[in-house]
Order: sequence, then C-alpha cells, then structure tokens
Amino acid sequence: MAPRLGAGDYDTVRKGRLVLLAVPLGFLALVFYYPLGLILKSGLIEGGRLTLSPLLDILSDRYFLHLIWFTIKQAALSTLLSIAIGLPGAYLLTRYEFPGKRTIRSLTVVPFVLPAIAVALGFILFFGNSGYLNRWLMELFDLSGPPLRLLYSLSGIVLAHAFYNAPIVTRMVNAAWEGLDSAVDEAATSLGAGRLRRFLGITLPLLAPALFSSAALVFIFTFLSFPIVLSLGGARYATIEVGIYTLIRTLLDYRLGSALILVEMALSLSFSYIYLRAEGRFAFLSRGEREAPTRAFFRGRLTLGKGLLLVYSLLAAVFFLGPIVSILADSLRVGGGWTLANYWELVSPRYNPFLGSSPLHTVTNSLLVGGISTLISLPVGTVVAWFAVRSRLPGRRMLEALLMAPLAVSSVAVGFAVLRGFSGPPLYLGGTLVAIALAHAVLTYPFVVRALRPVLEGLDTTLVEAARSLGASRVRAFFEVDLPLIARGMLVAAVFAFALSMGEMSATIMLMRPGLSTIPVAVYGLLSARQFGAASAMAVVLIAVTAFSFLVIDRLGEELQGGSK
Amino acid sequence: MKKSVLVLAAIVITAVGLIGMGKEKLVVYTYSSFVSWGPAAALEEAFEARYDCDLEFVTAGGGKATLSRLLAEREAGGTDADLFMAEMNDVPRIATYDLFLPVTMEDVPNLAYVPQELSLDPSGRLVPYEYGYISLTYDSLVLSEEELPASLEGLADPRYKGMLVCQDPRTSSTGFSFLLWTIARFGEEEYLDFWRSLDPTLLTITQGWSEAWTLLTRGEAPLVVSFSTDTAYGAMYEDSLRYRAFAPAGQGYRTVYGVGIVRETDQPELAKGFIDLLLSKEIQELLPKTEIMFPANAQAILPPEYEEHAIVPSDALMLPIAMVGERMEEWLHDWARVITTQ
Repeated sequence: MAPRLGAGDYDTVRKGRLVLLAVPLGFLALVFYYPLGLILKSGLIEGGRLTLSPLLDILSDRYFLHLIWFTIKQAALSTLLSIAIGLPGAYLLTRYEFPGKRTIRSLTVVPFVLPAIAVALGFILFFGNSGYLNRWLMELFDLSGPPLRLLYSLSGIVLAHAFYNAPIVTRMVNAAWEGLDSAVDEAATSLGAGRLRRFLGITLPLLAPALFSSAALVFIFTFLSFPIVLSLGGARYATIEVGIYTLIRTLLDYRLGSALILVEMALSLSFSYIYLRAEGRFAFLSRGEREAPTRAFFRGRLTLGKGLLLVYSLLAAVFFLGPIVSILADSLRVGGGWTLANYWELVSPRYNPFLGSSPLHTVTNSLLVGGISTLISLPVGTVVAWFAVRSRLPGRRMLEALLMAPLAVSSVAVGFAVLRGFSGPPLYLGGTLVAIALAHAVLTYPFVVRALRPVLEGLDTTLVEAARSLGASRVRAFFEVDLPLIARGMLVAAVFAFALSMGEMSATIMLMRPGLSTIPVAVYGLLSARQFGAASAMAVVLIAVTAFSFLVIDRLGEELQGGSK
Repeated sequence: MKKSVLVLAAIVITAVGLIGMGKEKLVVYTYSSFVSWGPAAALEEAFEARYDCDLEFVTAGGGKATLSRLLAEREAGGTDADLFMAEMNDVPRIATYDLFLPVTMEDVPNLAYVPQELSLDPSGRLVPYEYGYISLTYDSLVLSEEELPASLEGLADPRYKGMLVCQDPRTSSTGFSFLLWTIARFGEEEYLDFWRSLDPTLLTITQGWSEAWTLLTRGEAPLVVSFSTDTAYGAMYEDSLRYRAFAPAGQGYRTVYGVGIVRETDQPELAKGFIDLLLSKEIQELLPKTEIMFPANAQAILPPEYEEHAIVPSDALMLPIAMVGERMEEWLHDWARVITTQ
C-alpha cells in the first residue's frame, strides 16, 4: 500500500520550499533590493522622515502625467502589433513541417538580442525616408517622394518594438502549443466542430496562459523601453524612462527621480499583479500525451490558409530580415564598393581603443558574461517559477510580483542601483566580470520565470504525486519527474536569459572597466567614434555569435531529450 | 542555503583580493570618445614613460554618465578615480559636490600657456585642456551654400521642413549646448518661442550625437547640429568635403573641456603630473587630430586642415557656467514640455 502523506511530511515539504526560496530571495535582496533601496532612500527621506511630497509633485505635474500616459499607450499598441505578427508564426511553426524549420525556430530569438543602437541603424537603413524600402517603392511606382514615412513617429516606435518582441510571442506560444494534447481537438472534430470553432473554443483557451505570459512580457518590456523610443521616435515621444534618465543622470535630482522610479515600479508591478490574477483564472490543465501531428507545408494542394501563411511568411521575412540584411550590407560597403575592409579594420590593433578591448576579447567577454549570468538566472528563475505555481502561501501573488521587480524597474535605475550596490560593502565587485554577470542575472532571471511559469502551470501534478506516493523524496521527484518534463521550457528560458545578457548595454557600461568590454558596448564605442562601417561589422559579429549560440543550445537540448522533433 | 552563502563569500573575497593587487595605478574617469578617438593611448605611453605607474582610463559613456558613476561610487564608500575629465556643461553644478582639489600654476607649469578666458571654473579646480564650437553641419550634395539659413531664425523657414536633426539636451552634451545656444541667442523670455517655430523643421531629436550623424550620412536629413570642426575632420580622415560645418550669422556655441583631481586621490603629485602632461605642447597638438577640438595650450600648432577648414565663429556665445548650473533644471523642464506636448 502506498504511504500517504502525513501532516509532518507537509511541514518538511514547506520548510524545504522556504529554504529553497531563500536562495533567490537572498540573491535579490543583496544584489537588487538593497542598492535600489539606498537610492530610493536618498530621494524619499527628508530630514530623517519619509515624505510623499516628491510623489505628489510628480503626480500633479502635467508633463509627467503626459509621459505616463504616452508610455502606456505606446506599450499597448506595441503589444498588439507584436501579437498580431507573432501568433501566425507560432501557428506555422507548430502545425507545419518545412525545410529549415528547426533553424528558423532557433533563430527567432535573434532580433531580441540586438542592441537598440544596431536595430535603430537597421531600421533607418531599411525603413528610413531614404531607406532601401522607400527607394525600391519609389523606383517601382515611379514616385517622387518616399511613400512610407514610418520612422520618427509613434509608428516607428511600435514597429521597432514589434521587431524585438513578436519573436517572443512566437517562441513562447509555439512552446506551449506543441505541448497541447490533440485528443480534445480530435474529439471536437469528430463531433463536427469546424476549424475556426475548434481554434476559438479549444486551442485559444488552452493557449491562453502562454499568450498572456508573452503579452505581459512584451507589454512590460515595451513599457520600460528606452533607447528604441528615443532612437526611432525622438525626444517628442519621451517615456517615463526618459524622465527618469533626465532626473537621475542629467539633473542628479534623486528626489523627483526616486519618486518617478516608484511611480514606474508601482505601475509595472500592478500590471504584473493583474496579469498574475488573470492568468490564474485562465490556466487549464493540458496533459500533452499526444502531440498534434504536423503536416508538411509543401505537400498537398494549396489551400487558402496556406496561401495566407505564405503571404505572412513573405511579409515577415521582409520585416525581420530587411533591417538585419541592411546592417550586413552596410558592413560590407566602403565608399561605393563591396569590401571586407570593415572587418579587417575591426581586427587591426588600431581599433582596440574603440572597442575598449580586442575583438576576440570582446566576444569572449560577452559569451562568458552570458554564460555565467545564465547559470545564475536559470536555477534562481526556476525556483521562483516553481514557487509561484505550486505555493499556496497567502499573499504569494504579491510576493511573486515583488520577486519579478527587476523586470518592472527601469534599466536606468537598475544600472545605477547595481553600481551603487557593487561599489562598497557588502559586495565590493566594482569593475569585475562577476559584477557584470550578477547584474545581468538580476535583469534576466524574471524572463526565466516568465518563460517557465506557463510550462509548470500546464504540468500534470498527478505524476509527481504518484512518484511521491511510491516513496520518492521531494528532491528526487523534482529531478526525475518535474525536471525532464520542463526541460524544453528551461531550454527556452536559458536561451532568453543568454540572449538578453548578450544584448544588454546600459548596466554593463556602468560597471565596465578597460578590458571588460562586451560586443554591444563595442558597437556603441565605434558609433560614437564615427566608425560606422566598423560598427555595422561589429553588430554583424553580435548577430552571428548569438545566432550560432542559439543553434548550438537548441541542438544540444534536442540531443539531451533524445532527439524530439 | 549555507553553501550559497559560502560561495558568495568566496566570490567577494576573491574579488576584493584581485582589486587589491597590482602595482601603482593612476585612474582617470573620462568620456568614451576620449578613449576611443582621443589621445588616450599616446597619453598613456608618454605618462608611463615618465612615471613608474600604470595609467588607466575608465569610462561610463558620456561625461554625465561618468560623473554619475563617480558620484555614486563616492557615496557608496569610495572611488578608484584619481582624475575626472568632462565637458564643462556636463558638470555645471560641479562646485556643489566639492569633488576636486584646487590646482595652481605651481603644480602644473603648463597652465601658463592656457588663456585666462578658458578658465571657466571660478574655483580653479577644473583645468581646461581643449575647447570647440557647436554649430550646424550640412550635406553639400543636398543643399548649396546659398541655400543655407542665414541665421538660427532662418531655420524655421518652411523650406527647411523636416530637414534638421538635433540632439536631446536631456541625454546629449551636444544637444544641451544647442539648447544653451538658443537661450544665449534669444534670451530666457523668447527661446521657447523659437523652439515652437522650429518644430516643423525638426525631422527628429536624437538621443546622442552619433545617432544624429548617422541620419545625416544616411541621407535622412541634410542639416544636423554638430561641431565647427566637421569639415576639417572630413578633410583629414575621409578625404571628402561633403559634410561641411557652417556658423549661421557667424554664431556658434563654445564648449570647453576640463580635468580635475578627485579629492580622495592618494596620488595628488602623480595626478598633477598627468594634467601637466595633458597640457604639454606634444599632447595638445594631438587633440585637433584625435578629439577634433582646439587645444587649450596657445603654443600648440594646428594642423594645416584646421587653418583651411575649421570654423571659428566670429560671434561665439557662451553662458556663464554658474548660471547654467542654477537654471538648467528649469530650462530642460520647460523645453521638454514644449517639445513633447506640441
């Protein structure tokens, strides 16, 4: 007879969980909350007393209210467009088989890691008023002026945000979709439900957690976006981040700066909280015993659906490849001709000062920081996600929202807090690779949680209970049951974390020292030194290195899983 | 849990140990272009040949970013910085931080060759080492010399609609200088009216100078706020005079760069030696070619391209630094309102 869990067992389980939870909490407290608290303290305590007057100053000022409103508006529009572009992609990747599919799926995350400065360059080269797209259209239709004035306005911001974030939607929804059980769908088919009805009635509700997760991620990400808004919208379209930057970095006004950080945190934490509540309601159990069969895209007759997907693929290819290919083309041109000169110059010692290091060092630094930070953020994020899904603690949603705070705080503030935290005891790490990696881990681990949560949500707990009832310890059950089941989700999470670290710049530049330069910092250094061709070449190096890493990680993961599809 | 504490402790101890090692070092906090483009490498070589000491340049991006890093480190318990370099307008409130040690001509003999008019810091703590002018730069393939605006006001003419790119004064030193230029030109009463009339002319307002320059060179806009030495830069490095600086109505805004000795330094003598070397004729003559700025040392000889192409505005404007420090908050705030709510 299977032993039943007694009250004492629950106590040990709970204690075990709390100890486990102490790891991410301690990590966050030391590396994030403590330094952030120091900054907020310097702004919100006047004469030894807590004061709300800076907050009131912010909330009664029309200019700041305008910033807040515009920030929400552009984030909402960007999220909608990201879903519109990302969802068909997830469908295509889930339901169809076509040559190069694995590679394409591995590469979907590449746009996400490009430094804003490179994306802005790609957009200007491709979508600009004198960019490739407009020049082609002008030639094609014999126009005298550019037909598409997309940049330097709200549409430029929203487009660039979709470029970054639609791949997140695709990737996360695809991961969830592939795990869906097709049995329900088949049952509905046999009962005569049409395809649209099945999609709306079955697939969509089942995908809701993943869809919500990715939408929330995109919303918060675009809510906090800083360089893209400035690069492609310009100062007229300032967001809260620009306000914080101005107050903290330009005016060194910690009083209003702290207040604005608080307002921004309060808003994004409420968004996370609302979403966590909503997600709880939408969550469905799906057992994923039988995955839906995929169909070969290029076999059989061309249906309307396939035709639409073809048109979609074509447009998506132009949208995502246009800016990237433009950067590539730019890196291969000097004067009027094609050349590799920019790349040769990149490896010449003359350029080392521009990079802050040698090119090879820059690449290894980026990989090292990405690797170390992922090794930290993956376990920390897994524990937090696991806690969020399994815990029944009262107030756990609040706690979860607080644990996600690094996601909800401006990169400007995080960079500043991290610098403050690492420049003195207890963590004196200023200017080391470890400091940069720790900062990246703080910034990236919420993405691990976000990516893993829907996977854990959909996990069948009866399996774990069965294992436990057969005498497996909690730890053993985790390693032998939970872990293999969520391995694919963890892989996606690791890719996100690694990717984010590869592209991160604002915290890195605050912490770096000579010799510790990373690729995005090098791109920035080259641009500010008027080495535009070399900057494009360096951006291409970043794209290539990340794309290659993704392919390797994905293939490795598939091998670990014994070669799934 | 215990294990992770131990691991963390080990990391901290190793890190502290690593920082403590090594021979004597002089650390200079500066803006990124001084290292990437500037004479940092030559300076390092000359300095290390003269003194038995490592010279290290550290940058957090622009002058403002580097200053905020320095201040944050100081507040957190100490900074490694011995010296700090920045554009004066990046640090207009420098006096309020009590950050630097005073420097006299006895400490730094080469200060004798720096004209008095460049010494902007009344306390004599930030020593000027180079200067330049913010002006406008145009694409000569799109606009001819005759088509250029004759004055700042002329920029508001409808024929320049969508043609100008400037930088955000909240994030960019160049942009801030341009804002100060409009205030110096039109006065505190009327500069916002000028910005309102300029709005249709502005294609966009970029985060920094390099984004604006990208738009100029990619054909997105033919006019950009930049430096009066741009033509000379093209002549020296690109073999092209396509992008040319001009000073509308002979005007430009002067920018001065200064270096200061951080109060907490444990090597004040070496730091003074660094400033003296920076002001030496040998290093100063590198500045026009690397920083693309005018040297502060009046004895330094300019390269021939400067004689021919660098523009010295006949009417160089500059607001007193103390006034900028006092008023910048309100100016930026008012400017941001006008720009974002139009």
